[in-house]
Amino acid sequence: MSPFKKKGDIAPPRKKLKVPRLFIFLCLSPWLFGIIFFTAYPMVSSFYQSFTKFNLIETPQWVGLDNFHRMFFEDDDFWKALKNTVWISAISIPLRICFAIFTAWVLTKPKRGSSIYRTIFFLPSMVPAVAATMTFTYIFNPAYGPINKLLQAIGIKEPPFWFMDPAWSKWGLILLGLWGIGDTMIIFLAGLLDVPTSLYEAAELEGASGWQSFRYITLPLMTPVIFFSTVTGVIGSFQYFTQAYVASGQVNDYSHSMYFYATHIYYSAFKAYEMGYASALAWVLLVITLLCTLIILKTQKRWVHYPNGSLFK
Amino acid sequence: MRKNRMFASLAVTALVVSSLVAATSGAQAATRTVTVWSPYSGGNLAMWDAAMKRIETANPGLDIKSVGSIDMAKSLAAINAGNGPDISVSNGNGNLGWFCGTGAWQNLNSLIAGKNGINMSATFNAASVASSISNYVRCALPLYSEVFGFYYNKDLLSKAGFANPPKTTTELLTYSQKLTTFNADGSIKAAGFLPWAGYYGFDMDSMWLGQMFGAKWYGGNASAFSTDRKWAEAFAWQKDFIAKVYGGGDFAKGSKLLTKFVAGKGDEWSGTDHDFITGRVAMKWDANWMAPMFCTGDDWAMADKCTAKVNFGITGFPVSPSNISAYGSGVIGQGQLGISKGSKNVKDAWIVMKALATDTKLAAAWDEANAAPSSLLAKEARPAKYPAWYQPIYDISANPKTAYHTVKNTGEHLEESMLQNLMASWQAGDTPNIKSALADLAQKVNQIIVRNN
Repeated sequence: MSPFKKKGDIAPPRKKLKVPRLFIFLCLSPWLFGIIFFTAYPMVSSFYQSFTKFNLIETPQWVGLDNFHRMFFEDDDFWKALKNTVWISAISIPLRICFAIFTAWVLTKPKRGSSIYRTIFFLPSMVPAVAATMTFTYIFNPAYGPINKLLQAIGIKEPPFWFMDPAWSKWGLILLGLWGIGDTMIIFLAGLLDVPTSLYEAAELEGASGWQSFRYITLPLMTPVIFFSTVTGVIGSFQYFTQAYVASGQVNDYSHSMYFYATHIYYSAFKAYEMGYASALAWVLLVITLLCTLIILKTQKRWVHYPNGSLFK
Repeated sequence: MRKNRMFASLAVTALVVSSLVAATSGAQAATRTVTVWSPYSGGNLAMWDAAMKRIETANPGLDIKSVGSIDMAKSLAAINAGNGPDISVSNGNGNLGWFCGTGAWQNLNSLIAGKNGINMSATFNAASVASSISNYVRCALPLYSEVFGFYYNKDLLSKAGFANPPKTTTELLTYSQKLTTFNADGSIKAAGFLPWAGYYGFDMDSMWLGQMFGAKWYGGNASAFSTDRKWAEAFAWQKDFIAKVYGGGDFAKGSKLLTKFVAGKGDEWSGTDHDFITGRVAMKWDANWMAPMFCTGDDWAMADKCTAKVNFGITGFPVSPSNISAYGSGVIGQGQLGISKGSKNVKDAWIVMKALATDTKLAAAWDEANAAPSSLLAKEARPAKYPAWYQPIYDISANPKTAYHTVKNTGEHLEESMLQNLMASWQAGDTPNIKSALADLAQKVNQIIVRNN
């Protein structure tokens, strides 16, 4: 308790700031302008367009639910893009979380130069996605890339063709994502450093093994960060675009193995010039993302332990 | 005195009349403004603006506002918003079906046939005339061309005992078998020719393959991918070629070896590492604008004498024996001009557009700056001095069988990218039945056309 306060003291009433409403509104106006004209209006407009046939030049024609019917019952590319997107989400999100926890845990170990190691591990996440992807298509090149040279050197006679092989291309993207794990890793590192050392000391006194300490102390305390990473990961992976677009442009992705949902929206809007259909795709994406997020939010009670919650009661 | 008064009154009248005329012409000039948006910048924009100045000089009272560095996406957004330019420029033919089909560019048929019209066939190359029209609507005028021909390494061919380039697809296979060499581990060391989607350059290999076999893209308003059996013939030839030249009769083996060979290709733009310069490949399809680089190694400018390592020649595509009359032809693409929907000054826009498309000085400047052969037939449109080795490009350009594929309103010519994907899938061995795949593709293209019309 603060030495300057006594029990039963009542805080003095706050003085009301006399700021004119107009001034407050003026301060808010840039944000209000942005949200009305650059978020709300485009959303309303695209919602309307999702029920139209609109090619950018001619007046939009009302087509009712045709765009949605076509999407679900006629468009093979929609299902292919959705399947690829679900695949990359299902594989990359858990892998990214595991890898980020592991990397963060490793970074808690050095006694000296820890800030240098943290910077080194964080740096890849600052490389622009386009540059990183182009570099990866080079290092994974089956003819002259160093990865395959290394694999051949250790005895793998026929290493994969990576981005050039539909069966391996998405794995190339997964590895690219793991390389740039820095942003997630830094959150886990902060979480790990926040775990009270007294808990580990108590566990050690009780004779807990390293794995038991991790399973019963670290992991439960990390669940809020895992929860956060899962939600942002799902939202991000459903909008996965840049890396896939650049990689598929570098190679001949004829089978659309790197064709994701956002790519399908892009092609529908800016290659097929079907703005109405692209808007419908975007709204379905919003609904899918929202549903996934709601499911994760609903399940959090079962597995996420907040420090002020059951763990400490 | 009376004389003086008369002179004075005449002078005053003349002054008033001339002021009125000047004021009227000034007012006229203000209303005769034509806005031209182009993607050009730097030297190209200066060249483009010089042409505008010539047009202004030839048409007193006309004010042309040229704005550079504007791509088609920006132009389209402005056209859509109702504040687009009078004239916009597209760097290729791909969007033409969409421009004409949606009315983003206005129908020029009546202007071309009008009093100040153009005799298209007497002014431009046949290919340029054909490829500025879509669905019987001409909404564009050709500006300059890019020509795709067949490049061959004279030294390598001569060493293999061939004095001339192959004329037919049969000869191409024979040449390639002799020119292809393998490493000790069985991988390809040097290739003769690669009928392979996605080897180098733009995704047009399927169009080039179709041109070799004379395959039609459309029959009326429907896709001809399944109805024109030449497509299936072309793909069958491609598979047979890969099997015989690279797989020793085994297609899967040849395909795998080629995938790795293509992955190891040299940098297209370095000027020293390109497979054609290093001799890794002896024959290939390519664009006219690669010729200066193959010639000098590191320069885009035209040179009288080629100094790079490769001693090469250019000619038309080898063609299938059933398409032999098309030998000497190639594929052409071109920059195009159109009058935007909503242009408030169509009459003057047409004057400017026609002048730009037929300005021989501008055509010559395109030639010199970008090695882009003019779409004009007139010889005087070409630079006074262009190297003799480059002549085949003009010959291909002028060949009546040279073409770009027919374009319909399929967005950004989606039929081409879809066919390219099919070609790639087929060469990788992932498409077991080409006839049914072509039928599926035709159905998809037809669906797009129906949707967009």
